[in-house]
Amino acid sequence: MLRLALKSLLANKIRFALTTSTVVIGVGFVVASFVVADSLRSSFDQLSEDIVSGTDFTVRGQLAFGDLTENEPLLLPEELVDRVAAVDGVESAAGTFFIQGVTPVDGTGEAVISNAGPVAGANWTDDQAISQWYLMEGERPQGTGQFAIDISTSESYDFELGRDYQVITPTGPGSFTLTGVMQFGFPENAGLGAVFTIFDTAAAQELFGLEGRVQTIGVRAEPGRDPAEVQAAIASVLPDGTEVVTAETLSDEFSSAFEGFIGVFQTILLVFAFIVLFVSTFIISNTFSIVLGQRIRELSLLRAIGATPAQVRRSVLTESSLIGVAAAALGIGLGMLGALGMRGLFSALGAELPDGPLPLRLRTVIWAAALGIGLTVASSLLPAVKASRTPPIAGLAEGATGAAAPRQRWRPAAGGLLAGAGLLLTLRGLFASFDSTTAQLVSLGVGAGLVFLAVAVLSPLMARTVVSALGVPLGWIFGTSGRLARANAARSPRRTAATAVALTIGLALVTTVAILGQSLKSSFTRSLQTTVTADFIVSHAQIGDDLPAALAEDLRAAGAGRVVAFNSVQAQVGGQARTITGADVDGIAAVANLDVVEGSLEDFDPASGLLLHQDPAGDLGVGPGDELDLAFPNGETRRLRVAAVYSQTTAFWGNWLVGRGLIAEMNPTAGVGVVAVDAGTAGADTGRAALEQALERYPQANLEDRSEFQASAESNLNTLLVLVNVFLGFSLLIALVGIVNTLTLSVFERTREIGLLRAVGMTRRQARRMIRWEAAVVTLYGALIGIALGLGFGVAIAAAIPADFIDVITVPSGQLLIYLALSLGFGLLAALFPAFRAGRMNVLEAISTEG
Amino acid sequence: MINTTILAAAAQAVGATKIYGSGDTEVRALDAIEVSFEQGRFTAIMGPSGSGKSTLMHCMAGLDTVTDGQVFIGDTDLSTLSERDLTLLRRDRVGFVFQAFNLVPTLTAIENITLPMDLAGANGDQAWIDEVVAATGLGDRVKHRPNELSGGQQQRVAVARALAGKPQIIFADEPTGNVDSNTGAEILDFMGRAVTEMGQTIVMVTHDAAVAARADRVVFLVDGKIVDELADPTPEGIRDRMTRLGT
Repeated sequence: MLRLALKSLLANKIRFALTTSTVVIGVGFVVASFVVADSLRSSFDQLSEDIVSGTDFTVRGQLAFGDLTENEPLLLPEELVDRVAAVDGVESAAGTFFIQGVTPVDGTGEAVISNAGPVAGANWTDDQAISQWYLMEGERPQGTGQFAIDISTSESYDFELGRDYQVITPTGPGSFTLTGVMQFGFPENAGLGAVFTIFDTAAAQELFGLEGRVQTIGVRAEPGRDPAEVQAAIASVLPDGTEVVTAETLSDEFSSAFEGFIGVFQTILLVFAFIVLFVSTFIISNTFSIVLGQRIRELSLLRAIGATPAQVRRSVLTESSLIGVAAAALGIGLGMLGALGMRGLFSALGAELPDGPLPLRLRTVIWAAALGIGLTVASSLLPAVKASRTPPIAGLAEGATGAAAPRQRWRPAAGGLLAGAGLLLTLRGLFASFDSTTAQLVSLGVGAGLVFLAVAVLSPLMARTVVSALGVPLGWIFGTSGRLARANAARSPRRTAATAVALTIGLALVTTVAILGQSLKSSFTRSLQTTVTADFIVSHAQIGDDLPAALAEDLRAAGAGRVVAFNSVQAQVGGQARTITGADVDGIAAVANLDVVEGSLEDFDPASGLLLHQDPAGDLGVGPGDELDLAFPNGETRRLRVAAVYSQTTAFWGNWLVGRGLIAEMNPTAGVGVVAVDAGTAGADTGRAALEQALERYPQANLEDRSEFQASAESNLNTLLVLVNVFLGFSLLIALVGIVNTLTLSVFERTREIGLLRAVGMTRRQARRMIRWEAAVVTLYGALIGIALGLGFGVAIAAAIPADFIDVITVPSGQLLIYLALSLGFGLLAALFPAFRAGRMNVLEAISTEG
Repeated sequence: MINTTILAAAAQAVGATKIYGSGDTEVRALDAIEVSFEQGRFTAIMGPSGSGKSTLMHCMAGLDTVTDGQVFIGDTDLSTLSERDLTLLRRDRVGFVFQAFNLVPTLTAIENITLPMDLAGANGDQAWIDEVVAATGLGDRVKHRPNELSGGQQQRVAVARALAGKPQIIFADEPTGNVDSNTGAEILDFMGRAVTEMGQTIVMVTHDAAVAARADRVVFLVDGKIVDELADPTPEGIRDRMTRLGT
């Protein structure tokens, strides 16, 4: 049977290639997802090791909660450095800093910003191994007038030794002489696109506003000493709230912190990859059905000469396993290329991923093999069973390939059941409360998957009616070839449905995303218009990065109007994590409309006051005058008094608002995220001029009025939507392949019929047109169902998303119409090759083909 | 002399030669054939399998091209026509009846009958079409799809399609090859009436002497050459001729 399967594959190369291609794309996507994530992993594992490679121990403040990615290390008193250095067994100890947002300005006046790594300030230490800053050129910077820069930034931005440059530090911008170029680690460590300015320790303390304090203390032990003993000795001199950890511990902590977001990244990529695989399952199954239907003569001959049903089944399954093996192997190859492409895509959209080798791990290969072979075999299971039931006389009956399919009474019931279960799970995923996000997403995903299966099961029941209706205009426009196109699209509802379902799924997802994106935008716009009254908004050019706190004071001093800065910190209330926004509350009414529903902003005390959104206020059952305890990462707890309850949130603040001074107290290295300015009576033009002048010293800052701010927020969202749509585009690609597949096989199957049409006078153009519009009608059918489903999903999800993000549901009907038109074009495109084949068909051969 | 023959003939082959392959594998399917099919006549082409009778029909009908020589439909030299013009010629001036699979399964019988005209975007002669449809004897069943018709009914629809456009000539390739003899007789009756009562011109390829005997004239083909012909044939006369030709 193996030989038979192999022979059958080789004899039908095109069918083989068509069947394989969809699996290859799906497997390739899975492989690329793993490889890109693994590449990130190995880069960051290396970074985690490099960060601590010079030290044996690190002394640091103990965080009350949260991990390294959410919180900056707590500060330690400087005298602790000497105390640790004096411990028996310690060779050397030094305080180090890593302060984000310290930004150099290059020779052209542009702020050096990075979308790949942090832009940070650091200090060098006498024991180079502890800070790991090694001098490569020039001199070490001394005092507050000098700085050094890391070697890769120096090269990329043409920094010259001896010249003066602007550096924006947390205490404000200053001019510094570049005295040296330094390298992190020796030999160079993984920098991953970070930008560093380096000062001496005392200058760093002054410039970062951290006099008398250090961030962490790096420790090197004397050679030959027992590490455990030294660690215990250090621990014995440390005050409460301070700990000493080994380099391995710290490195592991960094690794697991990085793994947190790499894991999420990998999961997101895999979700897209599995969508592609899900879609291709339909295509493979459909292709197998058609191919086996066409081979009914061959199969019945096998049965006639004595092959048992089991042998026929095995032959088909062997064939699909072979396809699976080939597809998995090709998929791995394509996946490696895809990984490169993915990196390129991310960097094109402004999210640089680190370069580095692309590791193909055993786990990836196993997944590729399991999915490639497993899915192909699973998809061929039903067709194989059907093929094994071929009676030996089937091939002798006239018109065996075109025989009318028997009615399937199970369809309505099975489809209804699937649809019911799917909708239930989807709605549960949307509206029930869950312990974990994963469980919620699984419920949603499985629900949506079942709904799609239901559509696949039910679609054949309505395909003929709907497709015929859609095809009516074809007859008016194109005459006979149009009428034939319509008839051909409707002649095999099961095939039409199976072909269209891939497009349905892809388009349903794209539509869902379009509705969510549009609703996010209009909700954002609405909240901006109703809630934010500021004339100007200042934020960092690199989304997510903070501006120095000094910037807010400088703007205030410039007399540009009322200046309100916002920043945020993690805290816990009753053991639950909350994002707390700090703001200059005294001026907040000038720049925003909180819409206070209870209490008054007048009662707010900057040091101990709290403004609460009505949702958490309702959940906690508190109102103005009540007190709440907030625990901060540094271990301190503050009792705050609710001054007012408000109902409006924006991108600037969330549900919890406190005075910015409190945040600075809890986290002295905190910058500001966004600054809102109300120009007041001076007028917008005067205000803008004053702000621009003040911001000349902060080239990393963006000054935008409200409409500019709205436009750039929308363009950021658009970038994200483009990325999502590119990934979903792969399922559409699969759908395209599926249509090409079905149509090619259909044309092959109808060789005799097309030959007849050509013989009695159908021109090549008419033949091509007939095939093209058949495809167009099928895609239109798939697209309409997809958009309808997507509308349902999109509106349901938008309704389930909290009102802070989406409170206006908007359906982008223009965009959906464009999708519909694109689908039509998509069908015409898919038909290019099959139509070409139909047109080029040799009439004589076609009519002499054994029919 | 030649000119007058061309004018009187619905189709004509002049030195028509068809060669497949080259060198050692060269096969001469048609060898300098000279034949003319007069208007208003029912001609049968007979010959053993491999004699070239189907090739001759395909070349005469514009489905295939000759390697050498000329083929005329009316006074049109097919060797001068492009692929597209050949298609239009088949659509507008030639009718076809094949052995099997004559009809498009997605179209009803009547739609199949008017298919060539519909492809041309022409209306056709409605009175004539009605006459042809009536002659099929299908009655209301012309609104049915082919898979709801018997084999004989399907072939009658095919003949009706060939007639509907009033072509210059109709080519039939073993039109009764796939049906039982009673049904075959029905179809041949229909074709005979098309010639005698409707004045059509039919050329039919067959290997069955009884079928060929329904024609006005039989042309015998062996090894790509016309070796004999017989006017007003009888089955016995044809069988006698075939035996003498050594087939």
